[in-house]
Amino acid sequence: MRAARTAYPLTWRIMDVLEAFAAFVWPTSFRRAIPYLLLAPALLLVGLLVLGLIQIGDLSLRTLDTSTFLLSENYTLANYRKALTEPLFVVVATRSLTGSLIVTVVTLIFAFPYAYLMVRTRSAGLRKFLLIALFLPFFIGQVVRAYGWLIILGNQGMVNEALGLIGVAPLRLLYNYPAVLFGLVQYMLPFAVLMLAPALTAIPEELETAAASLGANWVHSFIHVVLPLARPGLVGAGLVVVTLSLTDFAMPAILGGGSQDFIANAIYDQFFRTSDQGLGATLALMLVALGSLLVGIVFTLFGAGTLAMGRARQ
Amino acid sequence: MSRQRLILPTVRRRSFLQGAAALGGAAGLSALGMARAFAQEPEKPREIIVRAWGGSWVESLKAGVSDSFTKMTGIAVRHDLTEDNEIQPKIWAAVAQKRIPPIHVNWDTTTNATKSALRGVTEDLSDLPNLKNVTELAKPVGLDGYPIVNTYGYVYVLAYRPSAFPNGAPKSWKELLDPKFKGRIAFYNDGIGFHFPAQVAGGGKLEDIPGNMQPAWDFIAKMKEQQPLLGEDPDFTTWFQKGEIDAACTISTNAREARKNGIDIAWVIPEEGAKFDTDGLWIPKGLPENELYWAKQYINHALTKEAQQVWLDGLGLPGVVPGLTPPADLINDPSYPTKEEDFSHLIRISSKIQVENESDWFAKFKAIMQG
Repeated sequence: MRAARTAYPLTWRIMDVLEAFAAFVWPTSFRRAIPYLLLAPALLLVGLLVLGLIQIGDLSLRTLDTSTFLLSENYTLANYRKALTEPLFVVVATRSLTGSLIVTVVTLIFAFPYAYLMVRTRSAGLRKFLLIALFLPFFIGQVVRAYGWLIILGNQGMVNEALGLIGVAPLRLLYNYPAVLFGLVQYMLPFAVLMLAPALTAIPEELETAAASLGANWVHSFIHVVLPLARPGLVGAGLVVVTLSLTDFAMPAILGGGSQDFIANAIYDQFFRTSDQGLGATLALMLVALGSLLVGIVFTLFGAGTLAMGRARQ
Repeated sequence: MSRQRLILPTVRRRSFLQGAAALGGAAGLSALGMARAFAQEPEKPREIIVRAWGGSWVESLKAGVSDSFTKMTGIAVRHDLTEDNEIQPKIWAAVAQKRIPPIHVNWDTTTNATKSALRGVTEDLSDLPNLKNVTELAKPVGLDGYPIVNTYGYVYVLAYRPSAFPNGAPKSWKELLDPKFKGRIAFYNDGIGFHFPAQVAGGGKLEDIPGNMQPAWDFIAKMKEQQPLLGEDPDFTTWFQKGEIDAACTISTNAREARKNGIDIAWVIPEEGAKFDTDGLWIPKGLPENELYWAKQYINHALTKEAQQVWLDGLGLPGVVPGLTPPADLINDPSYPTKEEDFSHLIRISSKIQVENESDWFAKFKAIMQG
């Protein structure tokens, strides 16, 4: 007796064929390779970066001949010597490092309450408002935002006009170090809030309730419960802010009035103003090294576990 | 026979250019005559790309050179506003990698262009017919042939807001050291234009450049105490317009642009002098033959009296073709030198010395200002 056609429907047969094809293309024995395959895009990306760094490393070991404007054929450490001994580069590096640390601390101080309120508020309207206010700056580029500050803080800007109404003479609010740091904090704030919010969401609200029921006031609960548990978010946000600030170009260029350069501005000058690609490459590599060193110090002090890595093993 | 010659190899085209120049000279080199000559030339590209500075700079080039070139040849001109410093490494990389360069004609400072010439990435322009009609200023100093053609000169003047100088125009760069100008003066962010007058204002001699520029650095260090703003060409116009500064060392074109925009601004050549320099046009190597030909025609056209008159009226700068009429507002202006005595207060240092030492000067200026 013939089996009914419905006993083994056509769709099943199609699935069988597809499964057979999949088994042919990717046999079961290949399954162990899947994790490595997932790593491939990351390896490709890192590989390209490494290739670029090798090329930059090669450039950094060559000096500029100003009679031909070609880089030397032979290798030398002259650019590294110059970068480490020229007062200009020492000043600029110190300014960049100090600035990025100040910006990180100030940004985290402002970002934490913002993120906390956004996560904990019971008002859906307020949460939406905070989210919109958070994402809106992402649609406006860094350069446009910096120019916005020129309009607001300039000699004839809104702030000075308001001060003029109460008889205060125009103040120089732009083209100085505080202006650059101010611009950077405003630029970094959304990044920090975005990094902090998931960490704060992961802290059960019941823990704060429990702390309160055991007699802790809000300050104690914040210091002893919320802050330690928010450490992964704080470290992650701090790393993002410090590295982005350290390597920033636009804010020092636009709000610094030309006299508050960061390392990225010095690199630009070497590549595009003095045509010394060798020295520019040297400074670029040293910036990468400085950033990596900072990240290394953070991991050494707090451990990679602070970024919630390796949590399963704990 | 002559026609076959015209469409054959480059050398013959160049010979033709020279012949056309002679013919053009006899016939007054009318636009119509050139158009007829172009009709027999290599295949025309749809467009050529000319790098230019933005604002009034590119508008003047368009009005004086590009539009009339398009009208004459039918070739559109696209202006690439990439900064001169930023296009340079792109061109150098393209030539090194034997790629077609990103532009056909580079409008550049002579110092920057000289770097490219020394690197060997510029085409020789010695065969341009209109070079016969230009002044000595068009010839780049210290280079063989014409890897660049200088097209005009300009002066880094002391531009000032008259209301900030109630006792009359400043006579010396030293007047900027007055405490009332703290935070109210501006220079280029690499100090270009100010190094040489600073050498004189600091008590040094121009003959000591580049060997001993300590007087310049000492004077610049004093100026640093005034907390000057440091920027690029467009910044100066903006800063004057927005009331951020009272005085600046800048190219007269920027000051004139601010004045055109209704800002009360004037300029002088102080007693220590002011730097005089030139800009030019050059063509990167690696263009297809026909595009190279038309790029050369563009520069050749930029050297005609008609093109120079309109182009440089817009910029307010003296050109390299004799007989140009100064704009009405610049007659007898010190920033528009036309006679020998006009140059007596202007400082000219050879491109070679500038190119060889510019990196060090920039670094030194930066070190003082960033310190």
